[in-house]
Amino acid sequence: MSIVELSRVTAPGVSIEDLTIAYGGLPAVSSVSLELKPGTITGLVGESGSGKSTLALALLGAVQKPGKVTQGKVVIDGIGDVTRLNPEDLRRVRGAEIGYVFQAAQNSLNPLKTVGKQLLDLGKAHGVRDLREAHPLLERMGLNADRVLRSYQHELSGGMRQRVGIMFALVLNAHVLVLDEPTTALDMITQANILQIVREIQRDRSLTTLVVTHDVGVVAEVAQRIAVMYGGRIVEQGDSTRIISRPRHPYTRALINAIPRLTGDIDAAKPLPGTPPTLATIPKVGCVFRQRCPLRMEICDTVEPPTLGGVACHAVNKGEAP
Amino acid sequence: MIEGRGITKTFGKGVKALRGVDFAIPRGGAVSFIGESGCGKTTLGRILAGLETFDGGQLLRDGEPIKGNAFRRIQLIHQDPYSALNPTRTIESTLRDPLRLRAGQTGRGERWINEKVDELLSLVGLEPAYVLERYPHQLSGGMRQRVVIARALTVEPEVLVADEAVSMIDVSLRLGILGLLRSLRETLGVSVLFITHDVATARYVGADGELYVIYRGTVVERGPVETVLSDPVHPYTQCLLSAIPVLHGLEKPGPDRLVPNEPLDERTDPPGCLFAPRCPFATPVCVERPPPLGRLGHTPQDHACLFPASRHVVAVPLR
Repeated sequence: MSIVELSRVTAPGVSIEDLTIAYGGLPAVSSVSLELKPGTITGLVGESGSGKSTLALALLGAVQKPGKVTQGKVVIDGIGDVTRLNPEDLRRVRGAEIGYVFQAAQNSLNPLKTVGKQLLDLGKAHGVRDLREAHPLLERMGLNADRVLRSYQHELSGGMRQRVGIMFALVLNAHVLVLDEPTTALDMITQANILQIVREIQRDRSLTTLVVTHDVGVVAEVAQRIAVMYGGRIVEQGDSTRIISRPRHPYTRALINAIPRLTGDIDAAKPLPGTPPTLATIPKVGCVFRQRCPLRMEICDTVEPPTLGGVACHAVNKGEAP
Repeated sequence: MIEGRGITKTFGKGVKALRGVDFAIPRGGAVSFIGESGCGKTTLGRILAGLETFDGGQLLRDGEPIKGNAFRRIQLIHQDPYSALNPTRTIESTLRDPLRLRAGQTGRGERWINEKVDELLSLVGLEPAYVLERYPHQLSGGMRQRVVIARALTVEPEVLVADEAVSMIDVSLRLGILGLLRSLRETLGVSVLFITHDVATARYVGADGELYVIYRGTVVERGPVETVLSDPVHPYTQCLLSAIPVLHGLEKPGPDRLVPNEPLDERTDPPGCLFAPRCPFATPVCVERPPPLGRLGHTPQDHACLFPASRHVVAVPLR
C-alpha cells in the first residue's frame, strides 16, 4: 500500500491505554490513559521530569533505550498499536502518518544541507516523489517558500526553522501531529505567530494534535483539551477552559496560580513549595504529589489515588476539596 | 547609581546592536529590559557586566566611569544555571573559592568563610546542611539558580544583572526566584537589572521598578512598570503585550489586541521610525525621521512614537 492510499480525509483518533514506560525499572510514565479525540488539539502540560516528552515519543514508537514500554498500548486509528509495530512499519508511519516536531526543532535540521535537499531525503525515505505540497505549506505559514527551500538552517531565524519543522511534519500528509515544546526557545511575538499557525493548520487540514509544553499559557491559547502530568501520572484532564477556570487537582490549581500575570495583585501569584520529583525521587507508593500538597491526608502516603472524573486526588474524590 | 549614556555597539558587518541607549539604575532599584531576541537587551546587560566592550557613550557609577575592577560590583546571573556551575565541584567548593579570595584580601580566617557560606545559602533560601555536599546535578533547576545567585553575592555586588534568569526554571518555582531577587533588593540594597522576553515576570522583581522596552537597539518606551504594562502607548509595546497568551477561562483577549506580525527584514535600516515597517498604525510621516524619546502627547511615560495612543491590548480578567 502506498503512503497516499494510507492517508485519509478525516482525522484519526489516538488512544493511549494504561501505558507504562520505564527506564531501568524506574517508571517515567505510569499507567497513563489518554484519549486524543479526532480533529482536536490536546495540550499535555508538565514540568521537567514529569514524563511528558517520554509519553509523546511513545506516540511515535520512539522511546529511547534503556526506556521500554512495559505495559499498555498506544492505538492510532488506521495504524493500530504503535508499541507493537515492527521496525519497518514504524519507519513507514513516522512522518507519513504521524508528524513530529521535535523539541528545539530549530536545531534538528541538518546544518550541511539546504532545506530543499532535506525535503528530497524525506521523500526518498518514504518513496514519495511528489513533494509539491511543501510549497503551499510554507507559503501558508507566511514564508517565501522558494527562498526557504534554498536556505541552510543558519540562514533562517528561530521562528522560520520552527515553521520548516512543521512543514516536514506535514508534507507527507500526516494527520496526527505531535509538537514537543513548539515555542520554548522563541520570543513572545514569534510564539504568538507559531501558535496561530498551529491553530489554523489544525483547522485547515483536520489534524489530531498533541502539544507538549511546560507553559500553561501556550495550551490555554491553542488546546481544546488539557492533560496535566506530574511524576509520570496524568493527575487531571478535561476541557481546557474548564481546567483553566476551575482546576480541581491541587497541583493544577497551584500551577495555574504560579503563573506571573500582567494584571492584578502580584502577591496573589505564589510559587509551589518543594521541587518537582525526578525519575529517582518519584514516590513508589501513594500519591506522587503529596510532598508538595496542601490537602495531604493519611491515605495519600500509602494508596495511589484512582482517576475519577478526570482527577486523580483522594481529597478531591472524597469531596474534601472544591 | 549606575548609569549608561548614549551606549552604542556595532558588531562586525555593521549590525547595529545598540543605537545610543540611556539608562539609570538607582541603588536598590529594579530596572527591566524587555524586547524580542536580537533587540540588544542581552548585549546591554553584558556591557554592563564588563563582558562586552561598547563603541560609544559612557558607563558611570555615581558619575565616575566604570572600569577594571569596578565591574566586579556588577554580577551576571545566567539563563542556564546548569552550565553556569562547575559540574565537578560541590556547592561548598563553588562558594568557598571566591570567599577565600576575599578573606585573603581582608585578613579574615576560615571561620568567617564558614559563616559566610551558611549566611549566603540561607539568604537565598537554601538549607546549608542539604546543599553543601551536593553537586549541581543533584539539585533542581530552581535550587541551582539560587546557588548561582549566592555565588554572585560572595563579592558583595551592587547590581545583579539577571538575564532571562527564570526562563529555564520550572514554572512552579519561577515565582520563588523572582521573589528572591525582590527580597535581596530589600535586605541587601542590591539593585537588579532584569532582562527578559517574558513581560509579566518584570512586575515580580519589583512593582516599583522601571521598564525599558527595547526595539532594534533603541528604547521605544520607558516608565514605571505598572504604567507601561497597564497603559502602553507605543505600538511596539502593544504588539509585545498582545502576544502574551490569553488564559481562556480566566480572562478574555483585550478589545484592542493586535495580531502581531513578523519581523520583515532586520538587515535594512529605514530612515525614520525603525518599527514603522511592521507598525499597523504607521503613517507616511513615520518613515521620514526617527521619533525622539519623550513625552509627546503628555503621556506619563517616555515613548518614541509620533502618534502615541492608549489601546487596551492586555487580556481582561473574567471576574
